[in-house]
Amino acid sequence: MPSHTDTANTSLLFTCDKGLSWIENALNVIAAATIFIVMIVTTLQIGARLMGSPVPGFLEASEQSIAIFAFLGAAYGQRLGAHIRMELFVRFVKGRARWLLEMSTTLVAICVIALLIPYSIGFFMNAFTIGDTTLDYGIPTWPSKLLVPIALSIWLSRLTIEFAGFARLAIWPDAEPVGVPVLKSTAAVAKEEMTEAFGRDDAEFRPGDDAR
Amino acid sequence: MNLSALIEGQPAAIFGLGYSDPSLVGLYCIGLLMLFVFAGVRVVFAASIVGIIGLVELIGWGPALGNIGSIPHSKSVSFVLGLLPMFILIGYLAFHAGMTGQLFDAAKKWVGWVPGGLAVATVFATAGFAAVSGASVATAAVFARVAIPEMLSAGYNRRLAAGVVAAGGTLASLIPPSAILVIYAIIVEESVGALLLAGFLPGMVSALIYALIIIVWAKHKPADAPRVTGFSWAERFKSLPGVLPIFAVVAIIVSAMYAGWATPTEAGALGAFVVFAMAMLNGMSRKTLGDALMETSKLVVMIFSLIWGILIFGRFLGFSGLPETFANWIIALDANPYMILACILMGYVVLGMFMDAIGLLLLTLPVVYPAVIALNGGPDVTAADSAFGMTSGQASIWFGIIVVKMAEVCLITPPIGLNCFVVNGVRPDIPLSDVFRGIALFFVADILTIAVLIAFPQIVTWLPGLIG
Repeated sequence: MPSHTDTANTSLLFTCDKGLSWIENALNVIAAATIFIVMIVTTLQIGARLMGSPVPGFLEASEQSIAIFAFLGAAYGQRLGAHIRMELFVRFVKGRARWLLEMSTTLVAICVIALLIPYSIGFFMNAFTIGDTTLDYGIPTWPSKLLVPIALSIWLSRLTIEFAGFARLAIWPDAEPVGVPVLKSTAAVAKEEMTEAFGRDDAEFRPGDDAR
Repeated sequence: MNLSALIEGQPAAIFGLGYSDPSLVGLYCIGLLMLFVFAGVRVVFAASIVGIIGLVELIGWGPALGNIGSIPHSKSVSFVLGLLPMFILIGYLAFHAGMTGQLFDAAKKWVGWVPGGLAVATVFATAGFAAVSGASVATAAVFARVAIPEMLSAGYNRRLAAGVVAAGGTLASLIPPSAILVIYAIIVEESVGALLLAGFLPGMVSALIYALIIIVWAKHKPADAPRVTGFSWAERFKSLPGVLPIFAVVAIIVSAMYAGWATPTEAGALGAFVVFAMAMLNGMSRKTLGDALMETSKLVVMIFSLIWGILIFGRFLGFSGLPETFANWIIALDANPYMILACILMGYVVLGMFMDAIGLLLLTLPVVYPAVIALNGGPDVTAADSAFGMTSGQASIWFGIIVVKMAEVCLITPPIGLNCFVVNGVRPDIPLSDVFRGIALFFVADILTIAVLIAFPQIVTWLPGLIG
């Protein structure tokens, strides 16, 4: 049974989790909107090019925009357990041992991101200081490079919350999980995939239904 | 581990080997990678940390992190990678474009008369939808709703009905647009266009072999899979306009690669736009579009992270020389190259039972791919001197198609077999055990397809060969 101290810690963890989730959602919305805009603009660009008036610098600008959807949603994906892993062994481990294992694996993730952040800042600073640009149209590369340390920092914050969440569960194994991704069964993953395929409004199955 | 040397940034501080035996460092790190992956560390982090550890051992802290610090950005921001979100978006929008019902209807009218007609129609309809969606699991989910009710009411054996839908989904991996083939092309630095073209015919062959297996089943047990007859030619031709968008998307991708009127990324964007327009015309709500974009973004960031994580590991492998050592060892075995290839593919079957296809490919290719190229005779070999009768470039594409097909087969094999779970999820009245029994025959068909692709590599190499 969680103690009074646990309740206080849970409240703090819950607040941090909620606050960070808001930022992650906002960043993923930006990433998702960018994908949509790139689709529309690229389609228009094909038409413009085939009609003999290509948009100057389109290719380089489009390339720089990749950083938006390549990185900004990373923490959002972490929260929802999108980054793949092998769960075969983890499923066999139960109770406190499971949470200790999850703590350890999260610590590995924290080490990776914490090591990459200063070097990605250095990469950005270098581009910013020397005024690095793309080859043909001179588009500055630093805004795109700046997105990496920003996204990695949010990702590190998410991993830190996960680590705290797993540590809390390791101390109080029966407590309600807060700030950690839930391990899903294959059947639950299958259900999620169906929801994604059909859309949330249309996920309920009625026998004999046509997909349309 | 020598902690003070590690802090001072000296090489050889972890295993005490440094550059005295880089291949052994590579082997230790592969062991470490397996340990991390089995322990449940997410693949991006497992690959990155092992890459970092290995490089620190070989060249010390400063040079190691200086070497890999730029990889996430520099390897992600590449125009060709802009193709991935477009293909993934197509997948998420495809269902809402409302093509599934018309596709199944057209397939039923055109091929329903053959033995096992509805199941054969399901194969071609799933092939068409999977081609556009590029998503195996989603295809299985959609056709479990569209095709299974009709097959069951026509008196089809429920194992066959469930099996054909679960297996049909796997056709998504080969027929363009296919995101997994793009990922393969990026990892092995092969032409994305060539890989996408190469998948077309093997995808068709896969579908034909599925159809043949069903026909044989239906001939053997006609009561399990009756024919559907009585459609006039007028009805058949009337069903065609409904499937035009599917052909349009495939035609856009294939013709762009073949004729070069658009880059792969542009073709992907145009394909996505066509499907988006169809979905809007079909009444897709703004909320559904938003959900599809959020899901696309989530999957895209996962794939990009995985790619740079694996490239960090790959950078270390390059320093260690392990891929060359492994390739030399494979050649020194002096065994039949086809036997070695079979062993490698068996390894994929086993690993694929426990891991997602993308993760499996990314984790194994940095070591396995150079070995296969060496097995064929090296990067500069001519077709005449090679072990598999093809140049290195052709072998690269050929192996990509085979290994992607192999990885997708694992979507229908126990214990994970996600497609089977999806079919069971949509149709809880068909027990999971029946779905798995139903796919057994299609598993045999997949092995047969792979054997055909190995025996006749021209099926893979002919189309990309036309663009040079």
